[in-house]
Amino acid sequence: MSPHFSRRELLNFVAAAGGTHAVYQTSRALGLLADSTPPASLNLSPVGSAARTAVVLGAGIAGLTVAYELERAGYGVTIIEASHRVGGRNMTVRSGDVIDELGQRQVCQFDDEPNLYFNAGPARIPGHHQRTLKYCRDLNVPLIVKANFARNAYHQDDASFAGRPVRLGHYVADARGFLSELLHKAVDKNQFDQALSADDRERLLEFVTAFGDLDDSGNYAGSRRAGYARGYQSPEEYRSPLPFDDMLGGDFWKWVYTASENPDWGDPLMEVPGGMDGIVQAFVRELSSPITLNAPVQSIDVTADGVDVVFCQQGVLHQVSADYCFNSIPAHFLPGIPSNLPREYKNALAALKPNKLMKIGLQMKRRFWEEEGIYGGTTLTSQPIGELWYPSHDIHAQKGVVIGAYTHGDGCATWSTMTPSERLRAAAECGERIHSGYAELVESGVSVPWERMNHMMGCSVHWTEALRQQHFDVLRRPVAGRHYLVGDQMSYHPTWQEGAFASAEYALLDLDKRVRSDSAVGRLA
Amino acid sequence: MRTISLLLVGLAGAAMAEPMNGAPPPSEFVYCTTCHGVQMMGNATLNAPRLSGLDAGYVERQLVAYRAGWRGTVAGDSVGALMRPMAMSLSEAQVAAAAEYVASTRSPLPVPTGNGDAERGRSLYPSCAACHGVAGKGNAAVAGPALVGLNDWYLVRQLTGYRDGWRGTHADDTAGQQMVGAASQLKTDDDIADVVAYIMTFSAISKP
Repeated sequence: MSPHFSRRELLNFVAAAGGTHAVYQTSRALGLLADSTPPASLNLSPVGSAARTAVVLGAGIAGLTVAYELERAGYGVTIIEASHRVGGRNMTVRSGDVIDELGQRQVCQFDDEPNLYFNAGPARIPGHHQRTLKYCRDLNVPLIVKANFARNAYHQDDASFAGRPVRLGHYVADARGFLSELLHKAVDKNQFDQALSADDRERLLEFVTAFGDLDDSGNYAGSRRAGYARGYQSPEEYRSPLPFDDMLGGDFWKWVYTASENPDWGDPLMEVPGGMDGIVQAFVRELSSPITLNAPVQSIDVTADGVDVVFCQQGVLHQVSADYCFNSIPAHFLPGIPSNLPREYKNALAALKPNKLMKIGLQMKRRFWEEEGIYGGTTLTSQPIGELWYPSHDIHAQKGVVIGAYTHGDGCATWSTMTPSERLRAAAECGERIHSGYAELVESGVSVPWERMNHMMGCSVHWTEALRQQHFDVLRRPVAGRHYLVGDQMSYHPTWQEGAFASAEYALLDLDKRVRSDSAVGRLA
Repeated sequence: MRTISLLLVGLAGAAMAEPMNGAPPPSEFVYCTTCHGVQMMGNATLNAPRLSGLDAGYVERQLVAYRAGWRGTVAGDSVGALMRPMAMSLSEAQVAAAAEYVASTRSPLPVPTGNGDAERGRSLYPSCAACHGVAGKGNAAVAGPALVGLNDWYLVRQLTGYRDGWRGTHADDTAGQQMVGAASQLKTDDDIADVVAYIMTFSAISKP
């Protein structure tokens, strides 16, 4: 490569030689694109008259994406879905919707109003989830900003402040103030003389003073950042500092303090107005491939020239045969489905355990949170509900749906053995500890424990580092070039839609490579 | 290249990976197969045991036990607690029909997964044989269910439950109480693992 090429010249050269995908790869290697940026188009090789076929198992985000892309490239596609609905865990619950929990079927009793819905699965999209956003753009799915964190929302911890809720902004400002004061004192007492030059020392003191909003003598005596103590009919006054020992008492510093700095949670996030399943509806509008519902798979056989899938519908077995199979069935179900998948593959599947995750949606009579200055955001609590989300859409409507519990992993255990009505009562009691009068404002609610939902029984795969090392590559590799395991479970970002899109992208690009190499050696008719 | 085709297949029509020639689940019992697998073949990942071909009367008694709170209510039985709402949601007629459906299912016998000492287990088994049969096929006269066909990990968990007091302790559960007495003969975890390893040897000589 000539060292005299400019970057642009180099990219133009690569484009001529290898197509846009090569440009993308090269750009990435040069550091011009962030690693999270997906290809602008998968640019799958059209199969044209050599029509190839694919059966897609599962009509969640991964399955729908695969079907959409393959259809556009000319493949014949059919989608088989075990449950009564399309979307997988992308599920928006509205008035009259069925919650198909095993043994505890619920029907949503929300008012039939367009603003009263509950995203039981994915509910927020960060700006770096470029695949999710690309498909929203391509499919004309509207997006609005969702407030995920708000300084006016609360932290409530039974182990601190006698369980009283404290505004997040107050907590954060005071924590920084106190830590800064400690550091200021250490620097001031020349604790760092060996390490710091006089200049550095001055700069550090200024930094610490600004970081914690300290006064001239390096003490923290409260900050405007903690929020106003009262309205504007009197001189400004800020919330007075919280007792520092109380701040150390609870779990605040373990994760609450930095929760808004998690890149997947940091504002601004986005959501689909009217419900996250707008993405699912957009795919369904675009697709012409048939989607067969209520059709659990009974067997999967990879053959010399394709894949045979048997499914059951209304007590009758049907077989579908295709050149390729894209399988997004939850990995934890596959040990219960007969197949001729290789031994190594089956062993890998048997080692995986599902994640657990539960949400409760509550229709509230009145948008009381707005009366407390909260317009969206999340209250974080040590109580079993874990989190309390306030909607930032449809501000000042009469009613609203809050996410009254959001818990995962071991936190689900107490909830999963309750009846749905017990869950609602428990969630209302927890909310009462944060907002007085909360329980009386609950009009109706639904709980969605994914680890108990029919045809789901979990929320993606619980990947540990060891499991990933041992099994991820085995499962991502297609079986005989015919059977691809997909879904957010087969990504480096499980439980997010972005993971589902990424797994579909990975599998489709792998397929495309094989199809192109087939045509190159003239194996296509 | 294969054209996509959708065929109606008969019970034995599909070229299936393993012999699974029971009837497909009726719509109302598809739920059973969500966890217990196709043809109730079992799914260890979900702690859902193989139930293929179990005696209908035994299955019905267990569903009744869940409904009555004999199973799935005592602390320690977290897996049973997940099953209980499913049993609670069935009508009495459905309980009987579900039991018939489970009895009609067919799947290959499970393979051993534990590492108990079957030889040592043989010496512990004789007290089990009166009710469960010398070859684990059950004893209808005393309503002792077959043990052949159950997963070893499931047998271990249930024997542990009888021993630790989360199964068979309800006052009305007379059969369970008998088992509590019987399981008390198995003093250690090794005793349980060994007797289960011996029970698993019956599969090799049985055809369901």
